[in-house]
Amino acid sequence: MTVATPSPVAQARRAERRRRLQDPTLVLRLAVLAVFALVPMTISSFQVTDLLLKVALFGTLVASYDVVIGYTGIVSFGHAMFFGFGAYAVALSLGKLGAPTYGHLLAGFAAGIMLSALVALALGAFSLRVKALFFAMISLAFAEFALILAVQLSSVTGGEDGLSPALPGVFAVGFDGGRVLGVALGGRLITYYVLLGVCVALFGLMSRFVRSPLGRTLQAIRDNELRAEALGYRTFAFQLASSSFASVVAAVVGGAYAMWVRYVNPESTLGIPIMLDVLLMVIIGGIGTLWGGLIGAAFLLAARTLLPDLRALSAALFPNVEILQRLSERWLLYFGILFILVVFFFPRGVLGTIRARLSRRVS
Amino acid sequence: MKRAAPLLVTVLIALAPLGLMDPRTYLTLTVAGLAMGMLIFLVASGLTLIFGLMDVLNFAHGALFSWGAYAGWSAAVLLDRRWGWAASPSVTANLGVLVAAIATAVVATLLLGVLLERVIVRPVYGQHLFQILITLGATIVLEELIRILWGPNDQVMPVPLSIQGSWDVWDVVVLRVPVVAIVLGLVVYAGMRLVLDRTRIGLIVRAGVENGEMVQVMGHDIHRYFTGVFATGAALAGVGGLMWAIFSQSVRPAMGGEQLIFAFIVVIIGGLGSVTGSLVGALLVGLSYNYVAFLVPKAAIGVTMALMVIVLLVRPTGLFGTPR
Repeated sequence: MTVATPSPVAQARRAERRRRLQDPTLVLRLAVLAVFALVPMTISSFQVTDLLLKVALFGTLVASYDVVIGYTGIVSFGHAMFFGFGAYAVALSLGKLGAPTYGHLLAGFAAGIMLSALVALALGAFSLRVKALFFAMISLAFAEFALILAVQLSSVTGGEDGLSPALPGVFAVGFDGGRVLGVALGGRLITYYVLLGVCVALFGLMSRFVRSPLGRTLQAIRDNELRAEALGYRTFAFQLASSSFASVVAAVVGGAYAMWVRYVNPESTLGIPIMLDVLLMVIIGGIGTLWGGLIGAAFLLAARTLLPDLRALSAALFPNVEILQRLSERWLLYFGILFILVVFFFPRGVLGTIRARLSRRVS
Repeated sequence: MKRAAPLLVTVLIALAPLGLMDPRTYLTLTVAGLAMGMLIFLVASGLTLIFGLMDVLNFAHGALFSWGAYAGWSAAVLLDRRWGWAASPSVTANLGVLVAAIATAVVATLLLGVLLERVIVRPVYGQHLFQILITLGATIVLEELIRILWGPNDQVMPVPLSIQGSWDVWDVVVLRVPVVAIVLGLVVYAGMRLVLDRTRIGLIVRAGVENGEMVQVMGHDIHRYFTGVFATGAALAGVGGLMWAIFSQSVRPAMGGEQLIFAFIVVIIGGLGSVTGSLVGALLVGLSYNYVAFLVPKAAIGVTMALMVIVLLVRPTGLFGTPR
């Protein structure tokens, strides 16, 4: 009789599970979650709540982008498009099918997911078959096309003006759930917690995805495509799966964003500016870290809320120097410079650099 | 025969709409389409050259396009305000404005191209991900600099009087600006083919496209050629930007970004790295856009996308591309 020794794969899996429980950053992650969960209860400022949830939503969006750019090594400029698909699908389903119900909400999410998956498959089928580099150009063309379409089909999408859907039941602004533990439970707060839950679930899903055998294979393809191909992996199929998965996640985040902001227009959901934001966030946070997206999102969104003050300050100090006014107005310039500097000097971003430092100290 | 097939298809597509409209409209649309194609070709040829030789996907190309337009605009406005050259009926003065504007655009974008290659692109050779990211960062900075230096609003481009309006050839309205654009595009294409096929520099550049390491082993400083090709590509984008500004009679800070997408589609259709491919691709896009815009206005935006998708399905490496 032979003793059933676990296979190497099972052993690796067991070791991984053990390591994950001892991971010191687990505490850190729980602390971050606690901040997201507790702050809206204690501070009843809408600005703070709004900023927090936007950080969570964009952090999740950036993480899904990181799955494509960091874990698969494909540069996509169409990721904001999938975010927009989700946002528009939810907004349309809530706004155009009569009084909003939970069913409409779910149907909106489902439509966004389906559309994103289909478009992502088509996009990948056209571009990845040739060369991963094509993906950057073709996805940009697709995104531009989607943007033009959203503006042109104004009878459906509301054109440049966009849509402002109302939410059903407990998510409605007017909903009053009384007081729970001394906190007024309004529609806003319920929406906040539901969406936070969605973000947490998506994060868990993505973290699972990149650690799965599929995710490992993707990283192998990223590091050396030829070798992975020689080992018998159909790289095209793996890249297609990864980009489609990330697109679906982006669509769900887009739907959640539409639920929170209650306003969808081409500029704020589909456009190139959103794509630039996501790129900046992923670079600052760190490519290939997944969690860096939260750092990037927090930095950029906080900076954006503070920058108007800077403009006011410069206007007060030097009211007559026009070039200075323009310099302080164009905050995107500084983000651009920051972007180049980070790519040059910290190509791993904040989290990636910290991780590299720590692992060097340990070994 | 196999090489001629894409050309044949292009000619067929160019002739097809003849059955759907009267010949005069057809001719006007064809001139407009050829002009648009030539303008896109100016941008796409630089892009494809840089990619072919250096394996760099230059996302800053659109910003260089805008910079060329704004530099040329500044020269034209200066000459027009000081001496009224653009508005004067004298052909010499008009030509002077045109030449000065083109020269300014070329010089400005050449310098910018050298700067970009040396500072931004050189450290990231061979790393596609970082190339895309860093040239994208450069795009943001360059576009914002335009907004700071020239203001964020649209400006009117002074068009020299003698190329305004149209000629009347056998009852066919032929706009003058498109003709200038077509001539300029043909000159640039001929010049590029001449330099690439007939000169020593062209030989080395073509050899560099084939095998850069080997060229370096033969004792040529390939990096100098890289800088030269990058700057030339930048200047082509700049001229394209200026011509587009004259064509549309205005300059906008974001104009480059929109054209870059057209240029990308053209480069994909023509095949990455092929100059002739980008000419054929650009003409295809320009012509089909104009025909469809006339026949079915709503579908015009989709036609370039459809063209790209069809080409990718039939020939994944583009019309003139070689699998690499």
